[in-house]
Amino acid sequence: MKIVTGVIGNDIHVVANRLMDLSLNARGYEVFNLGVNTYLEEFFDASVETGADVLLISSLNGEAEGWARDVKPLMSRYNSLDNLVMMIGGNLTVGSGSATDIIPRYQKYGFDLVCHQVDLNTGLDMLEDYLKEHKTS
Amino acid sequence: MSQLQEERDIILGNENVDSFDFDEVREFVRGADKNLFISHAFANRDKMLVQPRGGFPTYEKQYALYEFFVDANVDVLPLTIDSNTRLNDYATAKKMLRLSEANEVDMLNGYPLVNHGYRTTRKMMTHFNHPVSLRHGTPDARLLIEIAIASGIFEIEGGPITYLLPYSKNFPLDKAFLYWKYVERVCADYSTLNLPINRESFGPLTATLVPPSITIVIQLLEMLLSLEEGVKSFSVSFSQQGSMIQDIVTGKVTRALAKHYAKEIGCEDADIHLVYHQWMGAFPTNRDSADQLINMSTVIASMVGADKIITKTREEAVGIPTKEANAQTVANTQYTLNILSGLPAISDEQEEEILTAEVHAIMEAVFNDPADTLWRKVFNSIKNGVIDVPFSPHIINHNKMITIRDSNKNIRIIERGNVPIPDHCYQYERSCCDLDKDTTDIVNDIIHDIGIMQ
Repeated sequence: MKIVTGVIGNDIHVVANRLMDLSLNARGYEVFNLGVNTYLEEFFDASVETGADVLLISSLNGEAEGWARDVKPLMSRYNSLDNLVMMIGGNLTVGSGSATDIIPRYQKYGFDLVCHQVDLNTGLDMLEDYLKEHKTS
Repeated sequence: MSQLQEERDIILGNENVDSFDFDEVREFVRGADKNLFISHAFANRDKMLVQPRGGFPTYEKQYALYEFFVDANVDVLPLTIDSNTRLNDYATAKKMLRLSEANEVDMLNGYPLVNHGYRTTRKMMTHFNHPVSLRHGTPDARLLIEIAIASGIFEIEGGPITYLLPYSKNFPLDKAFLYWKYVERVCADYSTLNLPINRESFGPLTATLVPPSITIVIQLLEMLLSLEEGVKSFSVSFSQQGSMIQDIVTGKVTRALAKHYAKEIGCEDADIHLVYHQWMGAFPTNRDSADQLINMSTVIASMVGADKIITKTREEAVGIPTKEANAQTVANTQYTLNILSGLPAISDEQEEEILTAEVHAIMEAVFNDPADTLWRKVFNSIKNGVIDVPFSPHIINHNKMITIRDSNKNIRIIERGNVPIPDHCYQYERSCCDLDKDTTDIVNDIIHDIGIMQ
């Protein structure tokens, strides 16, 4: 299972990104980590290049929403990303906000899985469950 | 005209510089008061020098900050530069400076030195007549250091590795080496006129579980890159790591090996100093706890025998500190240093031996790189992971080394990646840790180990 990951936008918070890399490798994924300060185009280009199954975007400074609005229009320009599982996690809003408001918004932007302030391993368990479910169906 | 002077003419021909007068600046440095030189303060000190951090956008606020520091009995004043200037974006810095002046709201996180210019800034530096240290984080600091020295700032922090790997994702590392070579040469040139300009490396790096062997190797390499260009006064540094004995051992090994490697290249005449940074990791939000942490850092710096300590404030977790909080730390640190006495001389021979062997092994691997110059050897060694800095955001960094804390909070290497840690050292480091865990537990340990002071 191939997974592309990285931190979106002008966000240099690297610690969680490295820990995610470690955890994903330990769970047996083939990881393509683009690191911090990554833009949407770079995520999609890397997904095409690597033939990724999952794109896992993270954000800590909360700016992700500004970028996430462009996901659908940008993705429609690529013709080989229809089966890409889209996941986003971290701190998904500037200031405070509740998960019940935030999750549907991000789903509308085009994400299959949304983790707002969810513990790293809980989030990765959610991804595994999701992948299992969609393999059998 | 020398090639360096040609380059300097181009750099100082920048549209943001108001006619740089080389001859006048040389005359100023030649006749500058010795109290402006930290090299003089080091040579005549009878106690550890205390230096805070701090920079405000406007001249008036920087001046007011210095008044507070001087009242608190500061030894070395800081000049911290704003983030736009650090990225060579002088136009934005100029705009934000104008807004800060017009509205009395700080629109910059430091002092935009290039925009203020050396004629203005020199008035402040000569008025306070203290040594000043330039704190920035700039990969291309050529213009900045020219303006700094012309202003009477005779200590320049940074280096091609320590100001790049913790701060940038993709600024080209080879360019950083060449830009810093310019800095070293200019510092060396001015050092012939009066007392030496001091260069200082930034040892804290990412301040996140960096093992002492990596810190020391990078300190030594930046020192050598500086001395080989003719710099005569250099400070190696590191920040509080979390275990007192590891800090003491790190200090001892750093001093001994700095002397050793300086001699190897025939630069034993250079003065080498040791600088200790109070805790640089995540700070407690509780201000009283922060004060306790700062005080403990001062005690450890004394045990380490540092020549200078760089302070934090009780407002570290909250944002840019007020001048009051900043000056309070200076006064508190001076008080602690004043009353501390009768410190025991302790160390740990086994730890010293292990750390020394690790540093020698990595240094040897760097020197054995087939490239023709030291900077290219270092560049290649970072690229191929012989030097690997935990939690660097830079794309060139290898990210294969994994470190955690043992039960005494010493930082230990449990995965060495491509770093040539000798086998017996590697086995020792691993034997200090409980490795009978899966990756999930280790990741949780790392999260815990990063936040130990919170």
